Amino acid sequence: MAARTLFIEGPAGVGKTTYALRHIRDLLAQGTGPETMLVLVPQRALGRPYQAAFTAPDWPGGAQIDVVTLGGLARRGLETFWPLVAKQAGFAHPEWEPIFLTIETAQYYMARFVNTAIRTGVFDSLNLEPAHIMRQTLDNLSKAAVNSFPLDEVADRLIAAWGDRHSSRPPVYRASLDVAQEFRDYCLETSFLDFSFQIELYIKFLLNEPLYRVYFTQRYRHLIGDNLEENFPVVGDFIRWAWDDLDSALLLYDTDAGYRVFLGADPGGMYELKELCADTQVWRDPVNTSPVMVALTGDLAVLLDPGREKPVQPDVNPLEGLVYESFRFYPEMIDWVVDSIAGLVDSGVPPREIVVLAPFLGDALRFGLSTRLNERGIETVSHRPSRALRDEPAARAILTLMALAHPEWSYRPPVDDVTHALQETIDGLDPVRAWLLTQIVYRPSRDDLGSFDIIKSDIQQRITFQVGERYHRLREWLLEYGSGAERFPPDHFLSRLFGDVLAQPGYSFHTNLDAGRVVAELVESGRKFRQTISMYHDVEDWSAVLYEYFSLAHQGMLAALYVASWRDEEKDAVFLAPAYTFLMRNRRVDYQFWLDAGSDYWWERLEQPLTHPYVLTRSYPPDQNWTDDLEFAARRDALCRLVTGLVRRCNRTIYISISNLGISGYEQRGPLLRAFQQLVQRYPAPGGLRS
Amino acid sequence: MLPANFQFSQSNLQDYVDCPRRFQLRHFQAQAWPGVQAEPVLEYERHLERGARFHRLIERHQLGMDSAMLAATVAGDAELSAWWRDYLHFDYLHDLPGRRYPEFSLSVEIAGARLVAMYDLLVVVSGERVVIFDWKTYHREPSRQWFLARLQTRVYPFVLVSSGTGLSGGNLLPEQVSMVYWVAAAPLEPVVFDYNSKRLAVDCDYLSGLIREILTLGDGSAWSMTADESRCRFCEYRSLCDRGVYPGLLENISNIDDNIAGSVGFSVLGGVGEVGF
Ligand code: SF4
Repeated sequence: MAARTLFIEGPAGVGKTTYALRHIRDLLAQGTGPETMLVLVPQRALGRPYQAAFTAPDWPGGAQIDVVTLGGLARRGLETFWPLVAKQAGFAHPEWEPIFLTIETAQYYMARFVNTAIRTGVFDSLNLEPAHIMRQTLDNLSKAAVNSFPLDEVADRLIAAWGDRHSSRPPVYRASLDVAQEFRDYCLETSFLDFSFQIELYIKFLLNEPLYRVYFTQRYRHLIGDNLEENFPVVGDFIRWAWDDLDSALLLYDTDAGYRVFLGADPGGMYELKELCADTQVWRDPVNTSPVMVALTGDLAVLLDPGREKPVQPDVNPLEGLVYESFRFYPEMIDWVVDSIAGLVDSGVPPREIVVLAPFLGDALRFGLSTRLNERGIETVSHRPSRALRDEPAARAILTLMALAHPEWSYRPPVDDVTHALQETIDGLDPVRAWLLTQIVYRPSRDDLGSFDIIKSDIQQRITFQVGERYHRLREWLLEYGSGAERFPPDHFLSRLFGDVLAQPGYSFHTNLDAGRVVAELVESGRKFRQTISMYHDVEDWSAVLYEYFSLAHQGMLAALYVASWRDEEKDAVFLAPAYTFLMRNRRVDYQFWLDAGSDYWWERLEQPLTHPYVLTRSYPPDQNWTDDLEFAARRDALCRLVTGLVRRCNRTIYISISNLGISGYEQRGPLLRAFQQLVQRYPAPGGLRS
Repeated sequence: MLPANFQFSQSNLQDYVDCPRRFQLRHFQAQAWPGVQAEPVLEYERHLERGARFHRLIERHQLGMDSAMLAATVAGDAELSAWWRDYLHFDYLHDLPGRRYPEFSLSVEIAGARLVAMYDLLVVVSGERVVIFDWKTYHREPSRQWFLARLQTRVYPFVLVSSGTGLSGGNLLPEQVSMVYWVAAAPLEPVVFDYNSKRLAVDCDYLSGLIREILTLGDGSAWSMTADESRCRFCEYRSLCDRGVYPGLLENISNIDDNIAGSVGFSVLGGVGEVGF
């Protein structure tokens, strides 16, 4: 057993992470080697306070302290100790190094098996897009891995939870798991490791390897586990595995959180780690939190979930922390939000102290809000987790040029796309001239782009000879490339077209840093895609690979991976985000705007007919039916955690905006709104409250 | 202002020394720019991948994995197998007693910033000495002078001594540190640099001056571009800087990796910390 072990539980804002950093400094001051410490977090973003502290100039010099997730530890362990795992785990070519799949490449390979199954009609009873079947099947693999369930158990649990509603669903669950098994067999053939397989191999094989245990125990003597509640069940297994050889452990548990239940987190199971610790402490007093927010948290928690015990609260009116306004129509509500933000900024509030939160943040809403705020001179940053790369104008343009370079493909881009591509890439070509040029030089039925030389001279003059010359160079490049296309993998095609032409003077990407970033992402995804195919096979002719990649990008299966850069994070800008995204950044701000509090979306979860976040956890009884009562309780609990988590991360005021008619025109009265209405009735309206 | 969590390293400092504009674009602005760095690209990538596998192989060996088992994993690659055999005959390392720290990172504060070094291998003979090993899979052996001029030769021993690491069981004197480059092209002739107090003082002045200079530069305008335009042929920002269209050929330069491995090396290898092989 670890000699010094402490478990601290408490809500956000009581100083747990600050304490952990002090604990690490104390260990260093006692002469403990930094390399012997391991900081384990459930998600990279939650490791940021540690990384920021360790890279600050005033941090003591020495070895780097590892801040990792279990996924990171698994990947690193498998990369290093692969020969010990490959044979035992049954890989067909244990001498091959593993190939780590990205989400996109995993989906690409999974799609093969899903599409075959769809053709048999086995999924016909579900009205579900192939992409959703694919994602939820991958999700089932992940759920199996993070709980250490065999795949059969996943199917059995889903079938038991389904009960006797109607009989078409159980075969569908089985089919999804059969597809998952086929995918897994393929991974064993090819040395592919998707996220779930990495976790499974790490827990099942590497942790049982004596050499890995020796390495790990010599290396790591002190464990700091933060935000335990957001972890998968296997993280608990890992901590128990390491426990006896540790010299010290500090485990931190946020009692209100558990926001990643949808992804497989098991707050209840992680709480049991408390039993391992010699000392336990409960911290309740928030540090630097206004009494109004403390009161608001307590009241809302009880209103949303009446079964909760009301905490001891400061004697203040929680309504002092609220401003709310209700409107009949959605656009009026947005107007009010924009006006209120502009008012705050005018009064000297830094924009980065303001966040706008919604349960889901669609592209239209995001675009509308940021445009309106930008018009008022207020910068915004937003998190766009699911935006397809092809939706970026620069990506769309270069993908269209890729298609034009391959007249042999069955796909011919529409005229509008070609107009957009030429206008986007040729400097000095305005929309009207781009349209004119395209009308003349491009016919989807013809093989390649026509020459500028064949255009009548008066039209040439209209388009301008300078533009004509640029078009000519681009066309020449595409034609020349076409004659040796089989020699270039997709990433090389993109890099060359970019570097040889589009980023040269006379073309719009020349100094367009955003376009550079977008094309770099395309290149990177193309490289990863190509590497999975060619790592152990010589490819003489890249044509087919290039077409596959193009299809993937063109169907929108490549997500824009651009994680907000450090500049975005630090920008003095209003942050627009889905509520859960903001929570997982673990940041406090002065002002929060909650959009459309009457919407049911605040407590609805994603419809996922092929999988289930609650049933596929260890703490759920394997043969229990999932009833409407359980669903209601789960939603109530999730909403309560979400709301208290948000309030705890607000220093001053929460602006609640309500639209009586939702974006689709229906009357709204969701549970969050009802809770606010009850709260408002309970307390006298303070001076600042508007309703 | 540099990015949050930014740490100076031998490779980003080398970028600065080679071309301040490159440092600004790569590290200050983290500007991705997908220009081809060198031709033929696939050959260059293969070389980098092979280098990464070689590093991994040595790490595995130093962690105690069986050499016969490891040899089997590279049997299909003649060049890698040859490097591996040469490494196994590298008695300088194998005869050295002491604890091994493969792929190990240390950092220190200097001039108000953090400087990090990522070592291929540290061998610590407790209370006596620490030897830094670095693997270079160059096809041609560079001169000793070339190594001497590299930032790596200054940064690695400096960080090791200055970090006050307890690895050696007490404070480490510069005279107890040496740095060894093993070069695939000349595996029996390692390039060895012994460190000393004078060198430490010189490096401290030089590195802190360099870092201070960088910290004073703002992002208002483009930083100065290298006068040596041959560097631009192997730089992904060539088009942005109006320094030519086509990339240089690998065969035209020696020690390709250290000259051009910046972001390409990084992305090809999925984030290997310091690329220099
Ligand atoms: S192209 Fe030349 S000037 Fe521009 S960043 Fe690269 S090395 Fe520096």
